[in-house]
Amino acid sequence: MIIGMVGAKTIGGISNMGRFARFSWQAIMASFRSCLSPCTYPLIWTQMNIIGVRSVPVVMITGAFVGMTLAVQAYDQLAGMGLEEHLGVLINISVVKELGPVLAAVMLAGRIGGALTAELGTMNVTEQIDAIRSMGTDPIRYLAAPRVLACLLLTPFLIIYADLMGIVGGYFVSVVQLEINSRAYWSFSASGVELWDVSIGIIKGLFFGVAIAVISCYKGFTCKEGAHGVGQACTEAFVASFISILALDFALAVIFKSIYNTFWSLRSLV
Amino acid sequence: MKQGSKENDVQAGNGNGIIVLNNIAKKFGANVVLDNVSLTVEKGKTTVVIGPSGCGKTVLIKHLILLLRPTSGEVYFKGQRIDNLSERQLNEIRTHYGFLFQGGALFDSLSVFENIIFPLRQHSDMPDFRQVEELVKSKLAMVGLDGYQNYYPAKLSGGQRKRVALARAIALNPEVILYDEPTTGLDPIRSDVINELILKLQRELNVTSVVVTHDMTSAYKVADRIIMLHKGKIIADGDADHIRNHPHPVVQHFINGKVDDDDLAVLRMSGTMSQAQFLPRDFEQ
Repeated sequence: MIIGMVGAKTIGGISNMGRFARFSWQAIMASFRSCLSPCTYPLIWTQMNIIGVRSVPVVMITGAFVGMTLAVQAYDQLAGMGLEEHLGVLINISVVKELGPVLAAVMLAGRIGGALTAELGTMNVTEQIDAIRSMGTDPIRYLAAPRVLACLLLTPFLIIYADLMGIVGGYFVSVVQLEINSRAYWSFSASGVELWDVSIGIIKGLFFGVAIAVISCYKGFTCKEGAHGVGQACTEAFVASFISILALDFALAVIFKSIYNTFWSLRSLV
Repeated sequence: MKQGSKENDVQAGNGNGIIVLNNIAKKFGANVVLDNVSLTVEKGKTTVVIGPSGCGKTVLIKHLILLLRPTSGEVYFKGQRIDNLSERQLNEIRTHYGFLFQGGALFDSLSVFENIIFPLRQHSDMPDFRQVEELVKSKLAMVGLDGYQNYYPAKLSGGQRKRVALARAIALNPEVILYDEPTTGLDPIRSDVINELILKLQRELNVTSVVVTHDMTSAYKVADRIIMLHKGKIIADGDADHIRNHPHPVVQHFINGKVDDDDLAVLRMSGTMSQAQFLPRDFEQ
């Protein structure tokens, strides 16, 4: 009995992963095809407005609070060692490399991931997705591809906004409130934060954006009947997106570190 | 378009069948919804599929356009086997169909005008906007809703939504129109409007229609042929008179809206209604 249940759960989990992998592949291929098809540009543009432009305020607020909180928390430790002028390096490298991209992506997973799943889930249970198929149109190309492209293209920009506001927030608390010397703050920051650090934060945004969009669209496309089904799909989409962001962050950190150790440190020789 | 093999492309059933289902079975887990159903939909005729709720009518109609894939069996459209085609190949075939969904399935973020031009936008270049406007106007006029172009689905009544959905279904001048419960949820007058529309489209466009319904008034009015599904099998097949006089007790119970003895026995077995009621004190410790 128990073995049977475990077996059934395992088979169910594997087949679900297979379906997700297939959906992801179709969505990514459809996105590539959409890039080459000008007739889909209005759809992408609409999604860019919904996903990107309307997310700017929440992402900026998230970034600002991250920078300010870091300044408040780190000041005592650094001041105890007489290193308070190095606060800028700590805040800015944390913001651009890790906290800015990850927290902005988590915020996006909550804001747009939930909305995408709810919208597509409702379309699914009211047979609108079947209606698209019945009219000879691929719903993945029509519905998922513009959303994936919008997330792919705009998440890095949103992360730049979060980074900027994190830097401004950290500066505000450090220099204006904690009265650290402004010139020292910036000069240590400039010496400690490299273009590489900023770049990997932005590159992470590409991966986070695709993960959020593909997971949310998949959950919407496969959501069960009724209001409970849509609600459950939204919850699952957020949880899956959140875990994926953290897992991707870890994997990318390992990959970028090896790339940095191999190539970036050699650039002075080049 | 990939063509099926010659062997697969044989015309199953009689020569006038535009859609042929050959031994279709559909299972959802252990639940058998369709049990080796074979059906030939004749060109230019209106075939009505009747049966009680949950008997597999909607599953059957979705197999005609391959919105659901059969567990086993074959589906042919104009002699070509289509159940083994990929989704991309099926998209071309589906442009020959119009599908009226039970709830209309209008895109609620688009206006009536945008809903109707959706299939046109997907399958044609639409160079002349005025021409498109004329086309939408003519489709809406056919369902009696010209002037509603700028309305959104949320502002329409149930009957109007179904008529707009019908206008969208005929936008590409399909050869086959599939109707899934077209009169469900409508009052008798609105239901009759939909029935008249089905007949009008049949007359004016000479389309092949398949109507899934449990509304016998509607079935008798529009059908050239009626099929009754019961427990995943076809138990009756013929014209309206044949169905009216069919000897099978399940058919007679269904068309006369009468509960059969087995269902009544289940209801009687439970005792009186008062015994089935619970009071708060029943849950007190």
